[in-house]
Amino acid sequence: MTPGKHSRASAGAADAGRKGRPSTPPPVATMPTSPGNSRKQQNLWLNVGPQAKKSISFINTARGGFTKSYVGANQSRMAMSKTMTILPEIKTEKMNISTPKTVIQVMFLRILNDVTPRPLYRPDPHMGTAKPNKLLTSQEGSYASDYISSYSLYQNTLNPSILGQFTRSVLGSSTVTKSSVSTTESIAEDLEEPSYKREKLTSFTDLRVVRATPEKVVTKEDLQKTIEITLTETETLRFFNLPTIMISVESEEAEKLLRRNKNYETLCRNRLGNDLYVERMMQTINGAPKNKDVQCDKIIKEDKGVMSSTWDLYDSYNAMELSSLAAKQSMLESTSRASIPPKDREQRMPGSTIEKSSEASSLMDIENVILTTIHEDEEDHSETILKSDKFRQDLFFMERVLMENLFQPKLAAYRQLRILKEPGTEEPADFLKSKKLEESQEEGKKEEEEEIEISTEQSTIPAILERLWSFSCDLTKGLSVSSLAWNKINPDLLAVGYGHFGFKEQKRGLACCWSIKNPMWPERIYQSPYGVTAVDFSIGAPNLLAVGYHNGTIAIYNVQSNSNVPVLDSSESPQKHLGPVWQLQWIEQDRGTTGDDKREILVSISADGRISKWVIRKGLDSHDLMRLKRTTASSSKKGGEMEKKGEALISRQAPGMCFAFHPKDTNIYLAGTEEGHIHKCSCSYNEQYLDTYRGHKGPVYKIAWNPFCHDVFLSCSADWGVIIWQQENTKPFLSFYPTTYVVYDVAWSPKSSYIFAAANESRVEIWDLHTSTLDPLIVNVANPGIKFTTVLFAKQTDCLLVGDSDGQVAVYELRNMPTALDSGRVRLT
Amino acid sequence: FLHPPPSWDVEETLKRLQSQKRVQVIMVVNTEGIPIKSTMDNPTTTQYANLMHNFILKAWSTVREIDPQNDLTFLQIRSKKNEIMIAPDKNYFLIVIQDPTE
Repeated sequence: MTPGKHSRASAGAADAGRKGRPSTPPPVATMPTSPGNSRKQQNLWLNVGPQAKKSISFINTARGGFTKSYVGANQSRMAMSKTMTILPEIKTEKMNISTPKTVIQVMFLRILNDVTPRPLYRPDPHMGTAKPNKLLTSQEGSYASDYISSYSLYQNTLNPSILGQFTRSVLGSSTVTKSSVSTTESIAEDLEEPSYKREKLTSFTDLRVVRATPEKVVTKEDLQKTIEITLTETETLRFFNLPTIMISVESEEAEKLLRRNKNYETLCRNRLGNDLYVERMMQTINGAPKNKDVQCDKIIKEDKGVMSSTWDLYDSYNAMELSSLAAKQSMLESTSRASIPPKDREQRMPGSTIEKSSEASSLMDIENVILTTIHEDEEDHSETILKSDKFRQDLFFMERVLMENLFQPKLAAYRQLRILKEPGTEEPADFLKSKKLEESQEEGKKEEEEEIEISTEQSTIPAILERLWSFSCDLTKGLSVSSLAWNKINPDLLAVGYGHFGFKEQKRGLACCWSIKNPMWPERIYQSPYGVTAVDFSIGAPNLLAVGYHNGTIAIYNVQSNSNVPVLDSSESPQKHLGPVWQLQWIEQDRGTTGDDKREILVSISADGRISKWVIRKGLDSHDLMRLKRTTASSSKKGGEMEKKGEALISRQAPGMCFAFHPKDTNIYLAGTEEGHIHKCSCSYNEQYLDTYRGHKGPVYKIAWNPFCHDVFLSCSADWGVIIWQQENTKPFLSFYPTTYVVYDVAWSPKSSYIFAAANESRVEIWDLHTSTLDPLIVNVANPGIKFTTVLFAKQTDCLLVGDSDGQVAVYELRNMPTALDSGRVRLT
Repeated sequence: FLHPPPSWDVEETLKRLQSQKRVQVIMVVNTEGIPIKSTMDNPTTTQYANLMHNFILKAWSTVREIDPQNDLTFLQIRSKKNEIMIAPDKNYFLIVIQDPTE
């Protein structure tokens, strides 16, 4: 560079630094040339002029040389160094502390136009050592030492790289980023620094110390001083120089270049045999490799396998949902119980990790304990098992299954299935499959009927009652069966009332619920001090069982519950019966007047002569439906009764023995009294009878309407007779006196309107009116000493239940019964 | 009607079952195969329990595999000489062996 440039720069400086960035350096030829266009950079501080790369010209004014060409770096360095030596003095003179304002203004401009690339490396500004800047030592500037130190640090680190083209730029940029105030200055410093550094690397620390002191010298006066600012142009900054590899043929250098290329080609051609070029091996120095081992902690591996099955997945998902509860529970349980259940749970649910972890931890705790006391734990555990509810339930089922096995042929006959002769393929009646039975029953029935038809046509096999089994147990021994009732919903459930018929002895009574599935032991046992005289299941609430006692109380039990205490009791009711309740029945009655739906009421008739209906509201409320008065024979019939009217009767009430509601019209009912009269009454009138049927001479024990023909009803009484009546006729229609024994019970068959059963003391008779009206169809003689007391037909099957005075309820199957040909209307002859 | 009333005693029922005709053995074993209660001698009971255990698990997993919401409630194995009835549970197995012949 020449003074020419110098002058140019100085001229430029007068512009007060308003120039923007100069244009980018033009493409430089391969040959190093002086920078054609130097970037003019306004440098407030430095009067460092642009410096030629090659020229070692002496520069009067201190100017930093920004030489960018790579070739000239060394030279510039040298030049720089030289200039640097001079610089300090000059700079001390000319180093100006600008007023902050102008500084900032100028700086601002610089920043705007500044396109210097940011440095890649930004050292901590507080870390660096002070710059060995002699320039700055004298200066009292507002430059904090830290700034300078940061720059020094820059220089420290960037020293090796200053050779490169980019150094200047990097340094320059760093200064720009670091502070707005002193960028120019710093750039100047940058220029200076490298030389200093190279020379005086060791003296940084010293300088730093030195540097600290002059700072304090800054006084306000100095700040107020007017300061001269000289702006000069700086050296051109070359940031990038990509030398071209192509030259235009017309350029000056083309010739040289061509010559060179030719030389090179000849060289290449001559290379082979040329002595000038020898191929030789060289040994390179390889760095010594070093093996380095690192040891880490052993990675513990564990193999775990699970057979994933559908239920396993399901359990895991469920377990995760309930994991919070389950974890707590399992923790509690596992600490209290033995280890057996947790393990068991683990078996069942291997997928649930949370449970496992909790159990595992608890297992760890308990392990030691278990080892020592394992025997005791197991014992305790077994106790809990035996007492658990589930165990009882299982036993319960087991018993039923056993029964089913034992009674299999009988049960099958009851259910009208084929009986297994040997362990065959067909399944017997199973309590798990009871529903299927219902469906198959009908099929069975049809088959049976067909068989019977065929059999009757082919041969006359007499109809018989085949005894299947009997419900009896130790509890019921000695008592006599007083009443039987089926459950309305569950056809397998039977309620039996036990008591004593002897009026003198008032022994205990029993009401039992038996299930067909277990003929050996009743399902429910309700004991009471009084004999049970009547039982009936409710229709609307089939779990309610009404029991009537010999002392007149009525109790209602909830069969579903486990308790033995009745739900309701009429013993405290003021309207309770005073005499034995001979019959109970739940009736569904239309409440036409009040507009309610069918309400179920319990109707009872007792020996105190009252028919009362009980309604369950809050307790048992009762109304009297009827008071049975002692009637006398109508005057037209017997004139001799007049005396009786005048008789002083002890009680005007006739003890009622039985009643029967009309199957269609629940307002009308028949009541039988001890006198032998049957009264037709209505619920609307509770004073008068509608009609009276006289025929019996002894107490009427049972009245039954024909289920098919609603005009006909049947009654039996202690006068050994069974009478069939027609509703309109007060005279008996048909009467039967088969034996000289009291007939305790009669019942119509649900299958045919011609068939009914009668139980008297010594035998059970099945009458078929279609066949004969003189003789019963089947007669089953009782064992001596046992009286048959009750009779009940089974609804779905051809079976008959007979209760006797020994506490047994025998189940008979009606076999070979003649089938009904028409609908069953009794023909009135 | 699935729950027996509280008056229904376990011991009494067990006695009743045992006194039934054709019932040979009643035993209650826990899931490990250790008998809790048995009317038979210990080695045979243990043998039965161990053999049953696998069978019950298999049956149980089969039932649940088909429908995970299902569960096994009762097992009956009928053979020529006897019939084994098992009521399995989470904690125990109730096994009754009956003679099926008439």
